[in-house]
Amino acid sequence: MINTVKKLNVDGVFSNTYVLTLENGNTLYVPLDEANTDYQNILQWVADGNTIQEAD
Amino acid sequence: MSTLEVNKITPVSGGTTVQVGESGDTINIPAGATIANAGTSTGFGITAANFRPNVNPLIINGDMAMAQRNTSVTGITDDGYKLCDRWYEYLSSLGTYTFAQEAQTSGNAFDNGFRTAFRIDCTTADASPSASDEFWWGMKFEGQDLQLIKKGTSNAQKLTLAFWVKSNKTGVGQVNFRDTDNSRMCSGTYTISVANTWEHKIINIAADTTGAFTNDNAESLQIQWYLDSGSNYEGGATPTAWEADSAGDRNASGNLNIGDNTANDWSITGIQLEVGEYTSSTIPPFQHESFGDNLFRCQRYYFRTPVLQNQVFATGFSSNSTTGRGLFENYQVMRSAPSISKSSGTDFAVHQAASSTQTTGLDFYYMTNKTSLWYATVSSGLTEGNGALLIDDGGANAYIEGSAEL
Repeated sequence: MINTVKKLNVDGVFSNTYVLTLENGNTLYVPLDEANTDYQNILQWVADGNTIQEAD
Repeated sequence: MSTLEVNKITPVSGGTTVQVGESGDTINIPAGATIANAGTSTGFGITAANFRPNVNPLIINGDMAMAQRNTSVTGITDDGYKLCDRWYEYLSSLGTYTFAQEAQTSGNAFDNGFRTAFRIDCTTADASPSASDEFWWGMKFEGQDLQLIKKGTSNAQKLTLAFWVKSNKTGVGQVNFRDTDNSRMCSGTYTISVANTWEHKIINIAADTTGAFTNDNAESLQIQWYLDSGSNYEGGATPTAWEADSAGDRNASGNLNIGDNTANDWSITGIQLEVGEYTSSTIPPFQHESFGDNLFRCQRYYFRTPVLQNQVFATGFSSNSTTGRGLFENYQVMRSAPSISKSSGTDFAVHQAASSTQTTGLDFYYMTNKTSLWYATVSSGLTEGNGALLIDDGGANAYIEGSAEL
């Protein structure tokens, strides 16, 4: 289950990557790739009313 | 033994057949002899119909030899890829389990060449699952790897699934083929007749002239061994012809109920999926792959680096005194851009010249199916523009894993 999702910026630019933290504490770097099932889960998580955090 | 020395044997006048021996006889061809075919002769007992249409097994890691993630996991209560590569389990509020890659040292599966099995042990029982609870185990397939089945055409092929299975429980298990492109399913059952004994099972799956698999790298098919379920997945009928997906049919015949007692276990290995209809006596031999070939195919979906002291993971450079960055290469070209995870960001070090500096953080970004970029931070000490290595910090804890599973 997804806990949080945050955009990852590198050198001030969005890196097509999301930092996903799960409720079990694991962290994943998830690519913006529609074939990636974790990215699909992020899209569903957003569709369920959740919000992706902007990068630090 | 007398010897007949002639250059040619032909039928008697008007005939077209020459017979050698009688029914039940054995015709010996000496070792080293060659039976030559001019190139057009047929009827050698081997026809095109006897050959598989696939070069490699359709099932990846059917012998459970590969387990990059873990060889034993306890306390499993949710779904995921936990143990042997490519094998997935869906578990929703139906007990707690231990999974183990079980070494085989005797028994029917061992005697047929299988040295490892996927074992599931129930450790917390749920004998009264709620209606929506379910527990199944199986594999997901890319559509582009299934086009040889010709599903959704008038030439659609039948399939045969074969596997070795063992459980403390006797009873009936249901296996479903679920077409996730077209929401269709077809199923079969197997019976465990003798407890705690490896048995070989065959399930035939009908051809389906409706609903082609999409020819891409996304999921098109699931094979599901149902192990337990609530009432939502029971009460229907096991479909032996393809039909619209129906929840109540998914475990209509299964009564193994592996989750109902902590004494329960279920093990499986030697899984093969063949194009065509076969019986237990005609099924082709399992296609054993080398360890390297098996690993190569598994790493299209998942890789995990070894854990070795001072291991080098990637090369790069330092962009200032506190930052190292560079290219990390996946072990194989993967199904999609993978999700990357790692051990603690402080398990690594940036090595430059003759010294290593422990990282305070490590990120991955711009992942593709071939590469990603790494970005590590340290407290100080790097020389801008100089080359750098991303290495284990000496604690032998660092690892990187990538997943492009379905």
